[in-house]
Amino acid sequence: MVHSELSRRTFLTGIGLAGVGGLGAALLGGCATSSSDSGGGSSATLTLQSSLSDPSPKAALTKVVDGYTKTKVTLNTIAIETFRAQLPTYLNSATPPDVLTWYAGSVARDYASKGFLLDVSDLWTGSGACAGFSPALKELSTGGDGKQIFIPTNYYWWGVFYRKSAFQEWGVQPATTWDEFIALCKALKAKGVAPISMGTGSTPWVASGWFDYLNLRVNGAQFHRDLLAGKHSFDGPEVKAVMEHYRELLPYIDPKGRSYSWQDAVTPLASKKAGMYLIGAFITQSVPKDVVDDIDFFRVPIIDPNVPVAEEAPTDGYFASAKSKNVDGAKELLSYLASAPAQELFIKESASSNLPTSPQVSTTGFSPLVQKGIKLLNESAAITQFFNRDSSDALQSTADTALTKFLDSPGDVNSILTSWQSAAQKVLTS
Amino acid sequence: MWLFLLVPAAIEIGLVFWPALNSFYLSLTKWNGLGAPEQVGLDNYRDLFSDDVFREALGNNVIWAVGFGGLSVAGGLALAVALNKPRRGVGIYRSAIYLPMVFSLAVTGLFWRVQYQPDGTVNTLLGAVGLESLERQWLADPKTALYAVLVAAVWRQVGYVMVLYLAGLKGTDPSLDDASAVDGAGPWQRFWYVTWPQLRGVNTVVFAVTVIDSLRTFDIVWAMTQGGPYHSSELLSTYMFQQGFTFLNLGYASAVAVVIFALAILFIITYLVRTLKEEVA
Repeated sequence: MVHSELSRRTFLTGIGLAGVGGLGAALLGGCATSSSDSGGGSSATLTLQSSLSDPSPKAALTKVVDGYTKTKVTLNTIAIETFRAQLPTYLNSATPPDVLTWYAGSVARDYASKGFLLDVSDLWTGSGACAGFSPALKELSTGGDGKQIFIPTNYYWWGVFYRKSAFQEWGVQPATTWDEFIALCKALKAKGVAPISMGTGSTPWVASGWFDYLNLRVNGAQFHRDLLAGKHSFDGPEVKAVMEHYRELLPYIDPKGRSYSWQDAVTPLASKKAGMYLIGAFITQSVPKDVVDDIDFFRVPIIDPNVPVAEEAPTDGYFASAKSKNVDGAKELLSYLASAPAQELFIKESASSNLPTSPQVSTTGFSPLVQKGIKLLNESAAITQFFNRDSSDALQSTADTALTKFLDSPGDVNSILTSWQSAAQKVLTS
Repeated sequence: MWLFLLVPAAIEIGLVFWPALNSFYLSLTKWNGLGAPEQVGLDNYRDLFSDDVFREALGNNVIWAVGFGGLSVAGGLALAVALNKPRRGVGIYRSAIYLPMVFSLAVTGLFWRVQYQPDGTVNTLLGAVGLESLERQWLADPKTALYAVLVAAVWRQVGYVMVLYLAGLKGTDPSLDDASAVDGAGPWQRFWYVTWPQLRGVNTVVFAVTVIDSLRTFDIVWAMTQGGPYHSSELLSTYMFQQGFTFLNLGYASAVAVVIFALAILFIITYLVRTLKEEVA
């Protein structure tokens, strides 16, 4: 009897410990396993890790990669929000993917400064694939040590998008000044339409769109860059002025957007339940086909005419991992992706309104909307990227917390900005 | 014979205990995954307890453990008792209730996310029965986000607990139940004084499974809210993931992992010691 009790006790303790041990292994095993399953960079095949998970860009990149015959390329498409969260881990793993999609600017520089990125300077000189690209693009693709670490392949503009036919039905006009814009919002609201759509649910970074633009309009491009580089404080008077303007918009932002992703929030715009959407030109890939020609945009209204007009023109492309086992193969793949035919094929297939970085791609055949976008950027005094691209993915997450909180409780703006500053400080000094 | 034991022991030590111990070591360092970890002593733990997000996540974990454990055990037990007696169609009910368990937590999360949309099923149903005032953005409202995820997780877990208790009830002696019925005991008395004590073994398993499941909850929160809006549905596991794999603060993340480990071991050992004492007595 005593015997059986004892063995039962040992058994139960065993179960408990095994359970706890298993838990620990599950928690910590994450560190060990997630680094090995994302890689796969043998010298024979190249791995291209892609964040282009929306249907049309994904199909477009698949086509582009299919056209590459020199080396076998495995295209790994990851849902973008997962990709964003795990990118540091991909780069940090023992066998990282050879080539990855991501963004030009500080965000790439940030990864380069950690030693994650392959030096691709030779593609920018002589007969390299990027040698003919503009100096501005080269500057954008250059790391802190003067070496190029990024291959830009397309970029796009931001604007306030709307449906022409809807504005006609409602009898309203695009706004050029802040007062006109607020009046426009009021008019739309009076008609029972949500004036501004904004999907900040699973894509909270969208809230940074208005933040960035109001900052550009109130404080200008240089302040935007300095703020994101940590030279100004998020609880300073300049940012408070930005939030004042943001607060004026809040009554006009569709509250349902807090549950939507940016893609979901396109639906109210397309079905004329919402009037406007400040978003990138990639919006056209999420609009139903029969609505695309009805989509137009206008420049974010001017607030202070003395501030030189700046626009965001985020640049997309690729970088390669410093630990790639097949450096030459990775560079050849990058050269192919940067080539004019590959750029043209991608833009055509992806149904987005992105612009090519290669001067050899003719844009004359592009849609009127895209022509208008090119004109918008040409008429701007300064070009910026976007909050995360002008800083880092880590700083973006502090903005997401602060801005979504602000959308819910604008009255707490001062305490929100204070904790934003201390969170940003932590990121900038780490 | 000892030789045969060596192989599993080596695997266990290499794949379970070594990584576990390693994370204790990492929790005392500052490390971004590159180069050598820098020793910082107990700094990570000091930072943890002055970190508002960590404290919120810890609080949420307590709510989660109590809510998830309580509701899934109560619900699973009630369903098991209700569906224990063989009768026509009971198998269909049992399978239907167990069905959510076959979906992964990520799929469950996506499914419920659709229900919780502003114009989704939950709000539509509330509107249909005249409760418009209760309609809200379940996952976007920091007051409801955690509970909305909790409901989804319990919805899935309840079938699992039911199956465990059904197995336990099969192991009880029906003649005891019949005898007490003849003696005039009511259904509640029969359950509480006759059936329940016989379920002790199953209870230990259910408790261990529930505590471990609730502390390791990650995927469903990640699929539904990613810990948001602004950390209001953050659990220790999601915060650990974010710190470790998004911010590459591997030392800090390991400190969170150690806290999760300590909590798990605390609960399990306390419970086991108590159960075993009762058994001996």
